Formats: sequence, structure tokens, C-alpha cells
Amino acid sequence: MSKSKQLIIIDEELCTGCGRCKDVCPVDAISGIHGEPHKIDSSRCIFCGQCVQTCSAYSSILDEPETPRADKLRERGMFQSTTEPLFAAYCAGDVFEISDALKSDKFTMVQCAPAVRVSIGEDFGMKAGSLTPGKMAAALRRLGFNKVYDTNFAADLTIMEEGNELLSRVKNNGTLPMFTSCCPAWVRYMELNYPDLLPHLSSCKSPQQMSGALFKTYGADINGKQRTEIYSVAVMPCTCKKFESARPEMSMEGHRDVDAVLTTRELAYMIREAGIDFESLPDEDFDKPLGTYSGAGNIFGVTGGVMEAALRTAYELVSGEPVPETDLIFVRGEEGFRIASMTMGEQTFKIAVVAGLTNVAPLLEKVRAGNAEVDFVEVMCCPSGCISGGGQPKVLLPTERDEVYRCRKESMYSHDKNSKIRKSHENPDVQKAYTEFLGEPLGHTSHKLLHTVFGKQDA
Amino acid sequence: MSSSLNHFIAADPEKCIGCKLCEVACSQAHSSGPAFTAGALSAPILPRLYVVQTPEITIPVQCRHCEDAPCANCCPVSAISRKNGAIVVETKLCVGCKTCMLACPFGAIELLPVYKNGAPVMQAVLCENGETSMDEVPMLFAGKCDLCSDRKKGPACVEVCPEKALSLIDPSRMKRERNIKAAMSFLNTSQNFS
Repeated sequence: MSKSKQLIIIDEELCTGCGRCKDVCPVDAISGIHGEPHKIDSSRCIFCGQCVQTCSAYSSILDEPETPRADKLRERGMFQSTTEPLFAAYCAGDVFEISDALKSDKFTMVQCAPAVRVSIGEDFGMKAGSLTPGKMAAALRRLGFNKVYDTNFAADLTIMEEGNELLSRVKNNGTLPMFTSCCPAWVRYMELNYPDLLPHLSSCKSPQQMSGALFKTYGADINGKQRTEIYSVAVMPCTCKKFESARPEMSMEGHRDVDAVLTTRELAYMIREAGIDFESLPDEDFDKPLGTYSGAGNIFGVTGGVMEAALRTAYELVSGEPVPETDLIFVRGEEGFRIASMTMGEQTFKIAVVAGLTNVAPLLEKVRAGNAEVDFVEVMCCPSGCISGGGQPKVLLPTERDEVYRCRKESMYSHDKNSKIRKSHENPDVQKAYTEFLGEPLGHTSHKLLHTVFGKQDA
Repeated sequence: MSSSLNHFIAADPEKCIGCKLCEVACSQAHSSGPAFTAGALSAPILPRLYVVQTPEITIPVQCRHCEDAPCANCCPVSAISRKNGAIVVETKLCVGCKTCMLACPFGAIELLPVYKNGAPVMQAVLCENGETSMDEVPMLFAGKCDLCSDRKKGPACVEVCPEKALSLIDPSRMKRERNIKAAMSFLNTSQNFS
């Protein structure tokens, strides 16, 4: 995991020591004297990349650089053709590795997280929050991926597993409250800072890892391939997803579930490098069955989305009736901490949504003290959920950031609203996957492929 | 406007943290096109103010919009003039002779490359030693603060500074305000004497 240790880096030549990264770091992993280059303590860093989004110290063409731009680009894992300015804080990239895999005889499968389709257009000059799932699928196909699947499929699957896990915990007096485990920065935060509370985390792998595990089993079967022939790539709004995919437990028989992760920004580099005109691409569909998704799966990319998706399905599981209103407005919002309750049949569930890790500690202290009156909690590390992730297109000016995030969020919800299927359990290909391959939620195969045990990380 | 002094932007070195966000904002305010993310930028960041960092001080330096502007006075092609209370360069007229750069006592002018559609605009110049008699070199212009006079929200650097270290100074108004403050202070002090 040596590579992951160097994931988020501050370029000493460019850092002016302004300390804005330090202010935005939710885990106090950045230190340095004002006016001198700052450093990241990798043993505390949760790789969320918010410092990358915030940093404005850039390499100016008016200054003579100590290290030439070409060398810096190579060091950062960026193509020489990349025109964007280089900032001090950055995430080490993987485009070279993935370009090589695309040229090899591997059978390449790619998945895209929900928050990528509402932001990638921005890096091609499109307006904030442009919704481009079809162009993204088309671009990935032109880049040479053999199968263009979607993380949203696994988001629906996560709801099936996580929803059933919650109900099982409630029924069997299991550990409550249960916390979501989709956000790898949040999981790492728990492991580093609250190891005693780890049983509260859902045992579900994140959608990225569920997809990866399915690609190399179910996906391999469907495509008549061996696990060893498949190279699995994920496109993510998140820098920590690179860390997550490299965790040793996220592999089977020595083969990683997800071989490599591209951030949204890196996918844009690849599209540019290949000379693809993104804006003029036609809308294409994701490949089936692992690219079929519901609106519920899509809203995973925004704060409150996992909770809303889960409640839409849980309501039906508990009461036997469809949820009266699909839009569960009460879990949406901007605040870093929100609580609500929902009655399903004869049961009332208390839920909480946390956006931004700086807002989670008070709740965790309550859980520790045994007086957190809540059953299910969604936690996302980034301030507005994945749409504001560390791997997303970098909004240059903080004065524009809120508006851009608002536009991305609006697109997430409108994509859900306009989906024919809006509940995870109604996704026909998820249903088919259970019938043909997985059996039942929390069953033997699900347990083996889709669940994991989170442990204390030795930093 | 013509009778009042030119405005200018001043920075407070006590507040400036040297983040260079003012430079990024300045470049954005002076670039055409819809790019608001780093990935969409196809031209370098080209600011018209310059963050100076020394062991003693961190502060952005930019044009003072001098009343008897040396840059405007010495420009051989009359590309620099006073416009709406600011000293501005007419980019199209500028020949990149650097006279203004030398004349400016603050170093507030930098020769910047002209970019169009993501590529530097080139110009042909006579060259003795080349294979042909003409060489292609990037076209340059004198880049300096224009107080973002075309921007509704005023100067971008002032708006974006996370430490509120920059402010737009109206020297005439500031003088009057200070006079009033001094007068009030005098009044208060004199009351103590009686």
C-alpha cells in the first residue's frame, strides 16, 4: 500500500504556506509554519482531497520553476498535453497505468460513480452541473473499454444489502445505530479515530467495491471470461477511492476487485489526450446488466442520497407497501447534521444524515456514551456529499463553489426524477442478479462478495 | 469622476496569507470563455497583480493608477490612458515595447502572452539568422490592473480574498473621512481641556 501512502501530496516548490488547506482538513493532518511549505501526515490523512480542491497556490508561467513543468506533470501522473495550471496540493494520478491496460489484451470493464456524470462536462467548458451520463458512456467506449458499466447498479445493490442488514439488526438486537460504509474516507476516519465503534459500520462494501467484486465473478461469467483476464477500472469523484480499492481485503484470491481508479478530473485528461470532442458525443447507454440503475442508485452522489434511497426500499420491506411519496424531501438539505424519523408500518425509524466529517464527532461521542437515539446514520466526508469530492473538477474560485455544487446537486435529483425506475429494489437487473447469481440479500454469495470486515488501521 | 482622484486597490500585509487566490481571480476576471474549473482552462493563469512573498512581508502588488501615470506618459503608441478613473491599457494597440514596465515605480506591469481559443497568438518578426527571414514569436501585451472596470461586482481580487486583505480605495473619500475622524477626535480631546 506504499502508493496509497503518497496519495495526497503538497508540492513544496509551489506551497506558499498560506494554511487554507490546513483550515479545510477535517482531521488535522496538515501542518506547517505560516509562510513555509506545509506537509501532510499520511498516517492521519483520510485522502478526502478537500485540500486539493481548496489550494490556490499555483505554478506561474511568470516565475522560473525549479522543476520544469514537464517533470511535474510526469510526477503527478498527468499527460504532457495537459494544459491546466498546476497547484501545490494534488492527488497522484493513474492515467498511465490505465492507458497501458487499455492497450493490453486485458478485458477492460469500467464503472462510473453517480457524481461524475453531473460534473465532468464542466472540465470541457460546459455549464455547472451539466448532466452527461450518455456522453460519458460514449467517451469511455471510445477510449477502448470493453464494457461500460455503472457504479449506480451496485448502489442499488448496496441498498438491497444495507437495507436488509439494518432490518436484521433491528430485529435481532444487533449493534445500532448502523452507519453507512460507502464513503471510504469516513470508514478510514472511524478506523483511525473510533476503532471501538467499528461494529456500528454496515458490513457492506461500498458500491465501487461491490461493482468490482461482481465484475470479476458475475460479469466474468456473462462475458465468458476468467477473473484473471479482467481489468476493472472505476471512475470516481473521490480521491480516497484509490486508497479503498488498494485495501488488501478488497480482493479475491490475490486479484483486486478494482484494479485502478480514475478521478473525474483524470477521466477528463484521458478524453482530451485521446482527442475526443466530449461535447459533440452522442448519448449512449451503459452496458447491461451491470450498468442498469434506478434513480435511487443515482442520488448516492449527494448528501442524504443513500438515506433517501434506503428509505424508499426499507419502507416497502417493512410495511409491504410502496412508499407513499418517492421524494423524501426531509432527508435532503445543506446542513452538516440533520435528523428525521420515518414511520413504516408499525415501526418508526430515527435517522441522521451527516455531511462533512467535522460534524460527526458529537454524534459519535453520544454513540459511545450509549445515548444516541438514532437507528441509521448516513455519513459522507465531503461537505455536499460526493458531488463535492476531492477528485471532482476543481472550481477555481471559492466564491463560485456553492453555486456550482448547487447545480451539480440539482442535476442529481433531476436525473432521479426523470428515471423510469426510482427504487433500488425495482431495478430489473438487480432482481435478475439475485435470481441468477447472488441468491438473496445477506445470503452466502452476497456475504462473500459484497460484505467485508473493517478493522483498525495501523497508520 | 474626472475631478476626483483615481481609485486603486490596497492590500493589508497584516492580513494577507499569500494564498494567491487574488491572482487566480484576477486571471479569471480577465479571461473570456466559460471555464470556471481548472480542467477547463486551456490558457495559463495570467494575473495583473503579483503576490510578493519575502521573509518580512506577504502582499499583492498592483497598479496604483497614478494621477500623472509614468506608464501612460511614456507609451510610444498611446496605448495607455485614463478611462473611468483608472489607468488602462488598450491591449490591441500595445506593441510590447516594455517602456511602461520600466517606467512603473511599483513593477505593476508585466508583459503577458496574448491567448485566443486556448493557444498563444503568434506574430511574425524579422529575423536575420532563421531559415526564412521571419520568425514566429508569441504576441505580448502589457498586463496591468484595470480595477476590473467591466465587472459588475467590482474588482475580483477584492471579492475573493479569503482574509479580506484587499480593498478598493477611493483616495478623496478616504481623505475626507479621515479629516472628519480627526475633527471628531479633536473635539473629544478639546472637551477634556475645558
